[in-house]
Amino acid sequence: MARAGFLTSTMLGFTRALARAMVSEQIARQAGLLQSLDPRVRVIGLFTMVLAVLLSRRIAVIVALFFVAVIIAILSRVGVGMLVKRVWLVVLGFTGVIAFPAIFLTPGDPVAAFAGGPLRITVQGVQTATLLIARVETAVTFTSLLVLCTPWTHVLKALRTFRLPQEAVMLLAMTHRYIFLLVETAGQMFESRQSRTVGLLKGAAGRRITARSAGVLLSKSIELSNEVYLAMQSRGFRGEIRILSDFHMRSWDYLGLAAFLAAGSLSAWVGR
Amino acid sequence: MHIPDGYLSPSTCAVLYAAAIAGWYSALKRLKRMLLSRVVPLISVFAAFSFVVMMFNLPLPGGTTGHALGVTISAIVLGPSGAVLAISIALAIQALFFGDGGISTLGANCFNMAIVASLVAYASYRLIAAGAAIGSKRRVAAAAIAGYLAVNAAALIAAIEFGIQPALFHDARGMPLYAPYPLGIAVPAMMIGHLTLAGAAEAAISAGLVAYLQAADPTLLRNTAGVLPATETASALMPAATTSLRRLWMAVALLMVLTPLGILAAGKAWGEWSPSELAMRQSAGQTASAAGDSVAPSAPPAGMQRLAKLWTAPFPAYAPSFVKSARFGYLLSAMFAVGILVLVSFAAQFWVQRRREVRHS
Amino acid sequence: MAMPPMFELRDVYFEYDGIPALHGLSVQIAEGESVALLGANGSGKSTLLRILDALYFPSRGQVCFSGQPLTPEALHQEEFALSFRRRVALVFQNPDVQLFNPTVFDEVAFGPLQMQWSKEEVLSRVSATMELMGIAHLRDRPPYRLSGGEKKRVALASVIVLDPDVLLLDEPTSTLDPRSQSQVIDLIQDWKGSSKTVITATHQLEIVDDIASRVLVLEEGRVGATAAPAEILANYELLLRANLVHAHRHSHGTITHSHPHLHSHSKHEHEH
Repeated sequence: MARAGFLTSTMLGFTRALARAMVSEQIARQAGLLQSLDPRVRVIGLFTMVLAVLLSRRIAVIVALFFVAVIIAILSRVGVGMLVKRVWLVVLGFTGVIAFPAIFLTPGDPVAAFAGGPLRITVQGVQTATLLIARVETAVTFTSLLVLCTPWTHVLKALRTFRLPQEAVMLLAMTHRYIFLLVETAGQMFESRQSRTVGLLKGAAGRRITARSAGVLLSKSIELSNEVYLAMQSRGFRGEIRILSDFHMRSWDYLGLAAFLAAGSLSAWVGR
Repeated sequence: MHIPDGYLSPSTCAVLYAAAIAGWYSALKRLKRMLLSRVVPLISVFAAFSFVVMMFNLPLPGGTTGHALGVTISAIVLGPSGAVLAISIALAIQALFFGDGGISTLGANCFNMAIVASLVAYASYRLIAAGAAIGSKRRVAAAAIAGYLAVNAAALIAAIEFGIQPALFHDARGMPLYAPYPLGIAVPAMMIGHLTLAGAAEAAISAGLVAYLQAADPTLLRNTAGVLPATETASALMPAATTSLRRLWMAVALLMVLTPLGILAAGKAWGEWSPSELAMRQSAGQTASAAGDSVAPSAPPAGMQRLAKLWTAPFPAYAPSFVKSARFGYLLSAMFAVGILVLVSFAAQFWVQRRREVRHS
Repeated sequence: MAMPPMFELRDVYFEYDGIPALHGLSVQIAEGESVALLGANGSGKSTLLRILDALYFPSRGQVCFSGQPLTPEALHQEEFALSFRRRVALVFQNPDVQLFNPTVFDEVAFGPLQMQWSKEEVLSRVSATMELMGIAHLRDRPPYRLSGGEKKRVALASVIVLDPDVLLLDEPTSTLDPRSQSQVIDLIQDWKGSSKTVITATHQLEIVDDIASRVLVLEEGRVGATAAPAEILANYELLLRANLVHAHRHSHGTITHSHPHLHSHSKHEHEH
């Protein structure tokens, strides 16, 4: 029981990834502030906010940006509870562990020294740890808002209109599409493997099984790519990528873009 | 090893985006020599495959589990250009769709895990497996070692990116603005996990996959196997085009190595500074190198920091202040390191070619 | 003036990695004909369809489309390639291979975009086709959120949007539930009455009469027999030889007898 089994945990990972994708799609379809904006505005706007978070050197400004993110989240019907669970606690756990030793390790003016020992807390240490946590939390919140409120197909459409090579956009689109197919295939493989496995698998055997499954998946992937290649050719694909994009910026979108850019540059300037 | 948003300064992110874009551009350009209509489905399905493999939980000795990166098998099957693109696409989807890994740090993550790791994996696999038959045990070992090296090279680069943050970006009172630890802490902290778990996971999955393909689908191993007559003739036909490029790279690498050395030598020749100048230099560079110069006992100065001072120390007092700062030293050290790496890889390539020629003659 | 046949194959050979798939196959198919390719798994049905769609080229022998030879060189010319790809459409057995775009709309629009039609024409043809196939409500769905029947309909829509003259269908009803099966058969029957040439590969004897006016039985890489469906279905010996039925031996009490047995697997497993 100590090991629930690596197969189970891999499959749990698959399910979780698919479930997350479904949740994002649900949120993305709701009527909310971010959802009402053109996807390009969403991508540029939230990227601007992330940049502002990175550029700002003052913790007060970063905290203010954090509240801006929370307000946008509420107006876009992203539950705060979900942000707490999916974003804030995860980031706090990860970044907190990384930031904590900085309290002692950062050279600077001491706040308190532990009796006799070499450990002492410095002002700079406390500040840098707080700053790192605030910065990462805020930046990741903005990124998550983009991910949660924009269906993948809209992200792709937005990327099409930026000056990205069309090959890159097509690669992103097809990869994403086949991730779902391969996750399904791998899940089925593990499931049937698990039903045939009696008892616990020892390390080496487990590694062999995992590598074998990956190998079968690899062969299937190559085979799949051959078939997809033929299917694309059959419909006239000759290596030149032609994509339709039908976006219309309305005045509301321009307003949103202006608001993002203004908020971003203002906070970067104040926090400089 | 995914660096989230907020750990790296915007300028670091920008530099690494630029480096990643250069890598993508040249990979795409090299692949375009192939049939583009074939490349698109191949790379995207492979990217999807590596994405899924990154989710595999691999049991490791000692009862733990680890995640592989999948970059080694990509480099072995697709070659370095294909691997660079496939892993980058997988990382981009993780960032843009699943929110794993940052948007601002996407360039950095792709540079470390897609570009550096692919090149290291490819070079070491080719080097160790050179001349081995498709079904030989040496290929399995080569894949394991390549995987181990690739993951650790990527981790080391990531650790360096973390480690230079406090020296380069801090406020007037020495408070680091982004990742807070200097190289002396960042490198060992990062490497412990990768020298053990992550490296072992990648080694195990790469070796297992190569062994599987040897039995089930050996044609997939031919791409980089170096035994196909087609690739032999291709490389025999191409030297005219590649040697000029290689020469250029060699020159750049030499320049990179020699510049810091030259500065050092020049400093020794001219550098006769008085104690007063020394003091002045210290006060000027104090804030800049607060993290590096600190006497905090728990933060031993890293070798690279010493190296950094070595480069910058000999400058005469009238030199512009930036050349005396620790940042400039880091830049020179990094240049030196990259130059050395490029030269070593050329030496390795040369050695492999020589061995092959000897065998064929 | 005699029109050249739609397809004319003379002594065609094809092999995969040294394993022969077609072995001296010769056949003519006239314009407007509806033909069923009948054969067991591995008899070369899929290979033949791919040769007719100029995705594979024979290692020996000649293939002509409307009197023009189909060669890699011919398909290399953009003008011929585009007109051929518009006129001839292949629906793959596995719809996952054919659905490589992020949404249903993009999928149906892919072919028209490769043909370099104007934006307005693409938009109107795509919506009309989606209406016709009853998939308009799936417009923005990603392929991983479609059922098996829906996937098949989208795959069909993605080729008929080009209004092709020739439809090549690879096992169109396998892996479908009965309702979706009958929908697809209805569609094929509609085309059968029109001027379109429809060539369907199948191993399901029970649908042959509905979808074809002529049957080609493939045996070991060449045409074993060709006749009207009724005639073929009545010829047990032929069906037995072509591995489409198998003798079923069983005993009732003391009497042992054998009789032919129709294959009607609704599921079809494909191993790579």
